[in-house]
Amino acid sequence: MNIQTESVAAANTVVAVNNLTKKFNLPMNGGEFVVLDSISLNVNEGQFAAIVGPSGCGKSTLLNIIAGIETHESHEGGSVEVFHKSAEAGSTPRIGYVFQNARLLNWLTVEGNIQFALESQQFPRERWREQVTKYLEMVGLEGQEKNFPLNLSGGMQQRVAIARALAIEPDILLMDEPFSHLDEITARKMRFDLMEILMRAKPTILFVTHDLGEAVFLSDEIYMMSAKPARIFKEISVDVPRPRKPEDPVIFDLEKELVREFFSVLDAQD
Amino acid sequence: MSTRARGICLRVGSIVVMLIIWWAAAILMADVEVLPGPVLIAKTIWTNLWSLGPEGKSPYFHMGVTLGRTFIAFAAAMLAGIGIGLTMGLRKLFEHSLMALIPLLLTMPTILMVFLAVLWFGFNEVGSLVAVVGVVTPFVAVNMFEGAKAMDKSLIDMAKSFKADNRMLIRKVYVPQLLPYIFSAFRFGFGMTWKIVALAETFGIKFGIGYMFFFWFEQFIMEQVLAWIIMFVILMLALEHGVFARLESKAFAWRPSHSL
Repeated sequence: MNIQTESVAAANTVVAVNNLTKKFNLPMNGGEFVVLDSISLNVNEGQFAAIVGPSGCGKSTLLNIIAGIETHESHEGGSVEVFHKSAEAGSTPRIGYVFQNARLLNWLTVEGNIQFALESQQFPRERWREQVTKYLEMVGLEGQEKNFPLNLSGGMQQRVAIARALAIEPDILLMDEPFSHLDEITARKMRFDLMEILMRAKPTILFVTHDLGEAVFLSDEIYMMSAKPARIFKEISVDVPRPRKPEDPVIFDLEKELVREFFSVLDAQD
Repeated sequence: MSTRARGICLRVGSIVVMLIIWWAAAILMADVEVLPGPVLIAKTIWTNLWSLGPEGKSPYFHMGVTLGRTFIAFAAAMLAGIGIGLTMGLRKLFEHSLMALIPLLLTMPTILMVFLAVLWFGFNEVGSLVAVVGVVTPFVAVNMFEGAKAMDKSLIDMAKSFKADNRMLIRKVYVPQLLPYIFSAFRFGFGMTWKIVALAETFGIKFGIGYMFFFWFEQFIMEQVLAWIIMFVILMLALEHGVFARLESKAFAWRPSHSL
């Protein structure tokens, strides 16, 4: 099964990835390694899209290209576009990024870390306080403004990172396995809380994970990606209203089906 | 007793023990010309502080001269070292070429460097400055090089994803990561600098604390030699603990061990 429709940016598209190919040169033998092979996907406004795939399949590279951290040359093939949706001034799209590790600046307070993102995005200074308070409250860290990150637990640090990314009111929120470094109980709590946040802040999210259950529980749209070749081999919609329960039979069945699907692709490769 | 109070007691105690050993040794030696006891030295320091020394110069004048030379030379060595170290850390070309030279400078005995510097540049301010720059700069450069290498790339990526400009990158991402390296270079480098300045002064640069060591040493008046050494040590320790340590604990308030 290979669904790779030529995606066309609709009016409400926030991220449009078209036939994106990314190669790394291998210094050893002068050859090339294809990290991403003709990837196409569309994320619409307000949508929660997830890319699921095994470790090392190039998921993070894709997010990094969208975020502009990783370069992408046109000769490698395809294109990536991010559209600016906010009515406010500023022509460049706002991208919020939550990484696997919190990546906080430990020498700045919690508030300082969020202000770092706001200042980088040239958010008007008079709105900083309001944004900090609002989003810290949303991630359940009200009153921690003056605390330093190293005094917080791993889960709390990741909450600060989420607040930092949300505070800039991003057109697209990129999340790269944000709960994979947390213990399962904390991760589960964080997924519930993220769902709450989704219903309040309604961000557009592109979420990368290797955890099928997490993807099914959180997403509207799932792109399944294989490694070698790094392709999207299936796209699925999850039509379950929020708030969801992980033990919901529909979600559970869908997860089982996706696991089967993955194994059939992996087996075919062996 | 709190750990803090305990620490202070231990420190004061060890100094007291050292003074007792000194005092006992002086009594056993029973030769004031060679090893005067602590009481005599304390009296000598006290008298010195209130009187003009040889050539009509007060001890404060000599301290000022030495401190002035130390600060200027130290500033020059720090600036050069930070510049060179960062360039090495960020540019491969400089890393390889300078990495071959720096060990040569680092292994050179300090006393030889001071000797050559005053020989080539004269027994004056320039001589002592060159000596300090020659010894301290490579040390600072190596420290900064390591700081630049240890920079966390994932934080730089994070900052770039939020579109932080260069000014913000430098102020909030680069400098805070380099600060521990700058401070360690600062404390160690400062200690090296005043020793080199004092050494250059004993070699014959006019005035300063080192000049006074030598002045009294030539006349073999040990109580004055020791008095000047102790005045010197107290002055530098006061700077180290009164000024630098305070700055440091302020700059690293974000570390959990510092925040009380």
